[in-house]
Amino acid sequence: MTTLRIEQVSRTFPARHGNAPTRALEPTDLTIGNNDFVTILGPSGCGKSTLLRIVAGLDRPTSGRVTLDGREVTGPGADRGMVFQSYTLFPWLTVRENIAFGLRERGVAQDERNKIADALIRQVGLSGFENHWPKQLSGGMQQRTAIARALANDPKILLLDEPFGALDNQTRALMQEMLLGIWERDQKTVLFVTHDIEEAIFLGSRVIVMSARPGRIKAEINVDLPHPRSYKIKTTPEFVQLKERLVEEIRTEALKVAEHA
Amino acid sequence: MRPLDPVTSKQRVAYGFAFFVLFVALWSWATLGGHVSKTFLANPLTMVQEGYDLLARQGFLYDIGMTIWRVVGGFALAAIIAVPLGVLMGAYKPVEAFLEPFVSFARYLPASAFIPLLILWAGIGELQKLLVIFIGSVFQVILMVAVTVGATRRDLVEAAYTLGASDRGIIRRVLLPSSAPEIAEILRLVLGWAWTYVIVAELIGSSSGIGHMITDSQALLNTGQIIFGIIVIGLIGLLSDLLFKAFNAWLFPWRLA
Ligand SMILES: Nc1ncnc2c1ncn2[C@@H]1O[C@H](COP(=O)(O)OP(=O)(O)O)[C@@H](O)[C@H]1O
Ligand SMILES: [Mg+2]
Repeated sequence: MTTLRIEQVSRTFPARHGNAPTRALEPTDLTIGNNDFVTILGPSGCGKSTLLRIVAGLDRPTSGRVTLDGREVTGPGADRGMVFQSYTLFPWLTVRENIAFGLRERGVAQDERNKIADALIRQVGLSGFENHWPKQLSGGMQQRTAIARALANDPKILLLDEPFGALDNQTRALMQEMLLGIWERDQKTVLFVTHDIEEAIFLGSRVIVMSARPGRIKAEINVDLPHPRSYKIKTTPEFVQLKERLVEEIRTEALKVAEHA
Repeated sequence: MRPLDPVTSKQRVAYGFAFFVLFVALWSWATLGGHVSKTFLANPLTMVQEGYDLLARQGFLYDIGMTIWRVVGGFALAAIIAVPLGVLMGAYKPVEAFLEPFVSFARYLPASAFIPLLILWAGIGELQKLLVIFIGSVFQVILMVAVTVGATRRDLVEAAYTLGASDRGIIRRVLLPSSAPEIAEILRLVLGWAWTYVIVAELIGSSSGIGHMITDSQALLNTGQIIFGIIVIGLIGLLSDLLFKAFNAWLFPWRLA
């Protein structure tokens, strides 16, 4: 059982060069239960990455705390896998070595590492690319590798920060199906950040809508669409209805950002 | 010709070679054509003759060997100390804050100015030559390696942390491999500078080496020998550079992929 609790977590970036301090995140509460797939939706600059980085332990909250199964998060660790928006594969390692990075750090023997890595390579559809360098891969393939690399540690929760944000629409749709397929099969706990409304609905069991600066949770919407979901679901009335509702929510937020800018 | 248009590798070799031909042609025209006095500049033919004489009868190969050993020895000594220190400085900011001001200061001390002092301390033996090269290279390498390691992509470091890497793991499995190609380039660059220090070290108080031969030839006004010596230095430099480059390309295939 995995429970992630975000309790009154806020983040203010200190003032620099005479600028006022940036209040990136208002005190926020969120609980994510076992095998939840939660998507966080919000316009850019609303503190989504800040929140995710705090959960990952890469940043410290100004107030409040994050606990995973009752233990407070004080730094990054292998129990929380992270996939970044930018391409962060290690360029000097092959696909297989990248995926096995965390296992190697934990002292898993080479044979065992390769077995786990190769199984994941098949799962994310990269068979035949085991020995390629990241430079030789397309953006979509790099993110597949990054997802496999995070999964290799068998983390309690998978954190994804707009992992498909830089991909073209077709690739992005394929990646969404792949990720959802993995979740439907292996029942992982997932926290997924995006600014794409369709993506948030298609993937999530719950969509958390965040408001613009300073970021805070504005609405929470359950997505009761059945699983397994295929891309066809995106044209059903239920999906379109949810989408309309979220478009309204996001629009008001985006307008606020535009007024302040 | 258009900006940034590439050339084929054959063309590249041909153009590079053409410049040497042009250079020798100009030199021949100036000397053999009688435009420059023989006392000041030997012609290419005399130079080749003198060079043959040096190699065949005056044991110049031994001098070349001595010079190479001094460069490589002094440089290796500097690298063994400078690379780990630079990595530590780049990785740990307190170490950097502690050492950086001094290293930056020491970097500007001209190695050649230390020669009289080093002769006083270490005599005119091999140790003194090695020390000149060491002093000339060590601070440069420390600083450049520190900057390279310090500039490691933060997102890669963060990714490694989220994968469960320890602080030691970050150094060994992120900072080092990501900086390794740059460090190899730094060593290649500084090895080039080390060649200039060794010659200066050999010009003063030495009984062997290419620099020593050049001072001897100057006393005899033998410009052919001087030029031959200089060209040998250039050729060895070029060769070591090519070897270093090929070695780096072999060592870091992921960069070229
Ligand atoms: N390291 C930082 N220093 C100062 N301000 C920051 C820093 N990181 C983010 N911010 C600010 O915090 C706000 C939220 O950023 P972020 O969490 O990246 O938003 P999002 O991921 O939703 O686009 C932005 O206004 C951003 O400029
Ligand atoms: Mg972001």
